[in-house]
Amino acid sequence: MNYIMDSIISWFIFLFGVAAPFYLILGAIGIGGFREITKYEAHDSFYYRLNPAIKIVFSVAVMIIASMMIWWIGAVLALGILASYASLKNGRRKVFIGSMFLISIIIGTTWSYAPLTPPSILFEALRSQNLLNLWKWPSYFAVMGYQPYLTLQGLIYGMQISFRFAAVTIAALILVMTTTPSQILKALHKLRIPDPIVFSLMVAMKSVPMVFQSLDASVKMQMLRGLGSGRRKFLKPIFLLIAGISAIVPTIVHLMRGAKDIAISADTRGFRAYNHRTYFVDIPMTRTDYYMLAVFLAGVGVAGIMLALGFGRAIPYIS
Amino acid sequence: MNVIEIDNLKFSYLGQDETALEVEHLSIAEGESVLITGKSGSGKSTLIQCINGIIPHVTAGRLSGSVRLKGEDVSGMTVAGISRTVGTLLQDPERQVLNYKVIEEIAFGPENLNCNRDEIERRLHAAVDQTGIEDLMERDTDTLSGGEMQRVALTSVMAMEPEILILDEPTSNIDPEGTERIFQFLHKQKGKKTLLVVEHKVERALPFVDRIIVVDSGRIVLDIPKENMLEMVQTLLDKGIEIPEEFLYASKLGLRTADVETVRSELFRAGISLHSHARRSGGGDILEAYSTVRVPGRTIVDAALKARKGTIVAIMGKNGAGKSTFLNSMLGLLGKNEFTFSSTIKVDGVDISESDLSTRGTYVTYLPQSFDLMLINRTVEREVKYSMKKRRIRNDELLRTIFDVFALYEIRAADPLRLSMGQRRRVSMASILASEVRIVLMDEPTSGQDFYHKDRLGKELRMITEMGYTVIVVTHDARFVYRYADELAIMHDGKIVFQGLPEDGFEISAQYGILPPSDHFLRRNEKIVESVAI
Repeated sequence: MNYIMDSIISWFIFLFGVAAPFYLILGAIGIGGFREITKYEAHDSFYYRLNPAIKIVFSVAVMIIASMMIWWIGAVLALGILASYASLKNGRRKVFIGSMFLISIIIGTTWSYAPLTPPSILFEALRSQNLLNLWKWPSYFAVMGYQPYLTLQGLIYGMQISFRFAAVTIAALILVMTTTPSQILKALHKLRIPDPIVFSLMVAMKSVPMVFQSLDASVKMQMLRGLGSGRRKFLKPIFLLIAGISAIVPTIVHLMRGAKDIAISADTRGFRAYNHRTYFVDIPMTRTDYYMLAVFLAGVGVAGIMLALGFGRAIPYIS
Repeated sequence: MNVIEIDNLKFSYLGQDETALEVEHLSIAEGESVLITGKSGSGKSTLIQCINGIIPHVTAGRLSGSVRLKGEDVSGMTVAGISRTVGTLLQDPERQVLNYKVIEEIAFGPENLNCNRDEIERRLHAAVDQTGIEDLMERDTDTLSGGEMQRVALTSVMAMEPEILILDEPTSNIDPEGTERIFQFLHKQKGKKTLLVVEHKVERALPFVDRIIVVDSGRIVLDIPKENMLEMVQTLLDKGIEIPEEFLYASKLGLRTADVETVRSELFRAGISLHSHARRSGGGDILEAYSTVRVPGRTIVDAALKARKGTIVAIMGKNGAGKSTFLNSMLGLLGKNEFTFSSTIKVDGVDISESDLSTRGTYVTYLPQSFDLMLINRTVEREVKYSMKKRRIRNDELLRTIFDVFALYEIRAADPLRLSMGQRRRVSMASILASEVRIVLMDEPTSGQDFYHKDRLGKELRMITEMGYTVIVVTHDARFVYRYADELAIMHDGKIVFQGLPEDGFEISAQYGILPPSDHFLRRNEKIVESVAI
């Protein structure tokens, strides 16, 4: 009996990290929420006026700082940038969706790191020899000879790591929500990224909201056709997840059928006729862009100096 | 001088043994306007893709023979190089518009050609002058209607200043007003550019073409000057091409014109009256819907609709009239964050206004325009049974009937997503009907369909209404409505401004941007004397 209970609890804990982010996101914001934070909407505020190249630098700077510095720097960055979502179009809604996204990243990443981080790393990272064991999985959960344990320190370490991912993701979404695909094309072209790569990115950016739109339509069709019919309301996110998984293949097929038209449309309008292309509407660098560039570079510089001086290192056990 | 010359062309798609296209010889002279028509899958698009270089440069396959543009072989050119001479407008505007701003979209081609700013500006203004989209220049592309978006795509192609313009079913997915604007443009271009237009709407294309080419089973089976069309009406009909009735009767009566009024008076003189299409009054009211939908600053839908049991109600209106939004509000598919809405939906007296999706799905079912998105099962059989399984229904008789009506027995083990478009549409229809729900809502099922498939769809709808189903169908196809619908509802600025017999509706529809079909004019105000079989 104990063995069965152990197995049930073990599987519940194990799957929690996978299911909870989906449950949270699908239940709270739905698939439509994903679409809202992956598509550009016209508006006029600080982020929208910034040069796309500076926004790319911003994302890279956040990535460098969050990955090199101690976890709470990443946390401060993630929360700070999330708060700045309020300045976007439908700001309150964007902050809400971003928050749900942030929480799901934290749960998902924490759960993926916590059971599988070896005690030796935890001893070093958290400067503690006493691990508080919360759960021991049965032997069949062993991965390549490693027996997973869930410790309080593992959870703390996983959460610290998660803020690095969260900061980068939340910052990158600013670029997507405030810049048109063609502006990104111009910015990347100026950074001398080859046009075929830039074009792929541009098409991907155009396609991401369409992916969620198509997924949403497919999921709703399954609901209309009876999926989850007569089941209790709290189970809705689970059926949404089932429907979402079933919707992947038709969505991909639907988009792939359109992808060829996009390629034909670009090629028959001279795309890649030359190695270079001109731009009708230029995006100039303004004084604010230069100031912000200086701020981001200074941020990276300060982070480098602090690391050199031994303050706020991401990996203290290496020092 | 011939700008296009094709000799001994043979093409098979990669991995397929059968020849998709075989053309012994075809030449098109400079400034000529050619209509290319034929059934879906006949090889029309393959032919034009051989001309604009998509075959063999983008789409691979076995190619032999030659296609020459102004004397130069296409296989030795790049697609980008060809694009300086040949401009191509595709069927679906949403799939070819890449940029967020209209102005960026139009400048995309000249930018690729490395034009300087002044040259781009010159080309941009010249293209806009030709297509007349000045009012759209400051818009974002995702706020455009289908018709507006197609005109932006056309302007973008025109900014390349091509000598040859290919339009591949340019009006298949857009509303009548957008269609009219595209045809007006083509009319103006006649003689100025070499035009190759792939189109199902033969009668609409006739005013600006010199020549008609019919493609069937990968071969050119007819290549005639348009003046000879009346003599070849029966052949065109046999090849599955939609021919308006006035052409048929003009041909039968030996007239030299297919003008509707002339044909009508000649029919009257000959004592022939055409049979009217049967309109059924159906049973009692089964659906009562009232919806208001708002977005910040305005009301986009404030409409009421009733439908009787066993009838087909068609909703028509211009793009942006609110048809799809109204349909989505009935189904509960609108997003709460994008719209503010309230609705009262009663099915057979039961109020489902507050019900969730799966509960609504037990009263109304829905076929979206992108019906591929509902095909989630690995076999046709499982797809059709999906709703029954989820709702724990067993009705073998209904299943048998549905498999019969939609001719699915032979393909029941096939993967739905690998079927042809017509088959996929039939599988989707069958799967929503198998839920035993008696009210079917359909969003533009005629869009992009050829005559054969539209005719088949109409007959299927007739059959299912005889089985007791009620169908609400949103469509831009006036002829389809005239032939198959029992009632027409006209939607304008978010309101249903008319609901009644199609004959009455088409008397006033023009003022709402819906051109009545010629079938209606031929029958107007005449008594039925005798039926004439077509």
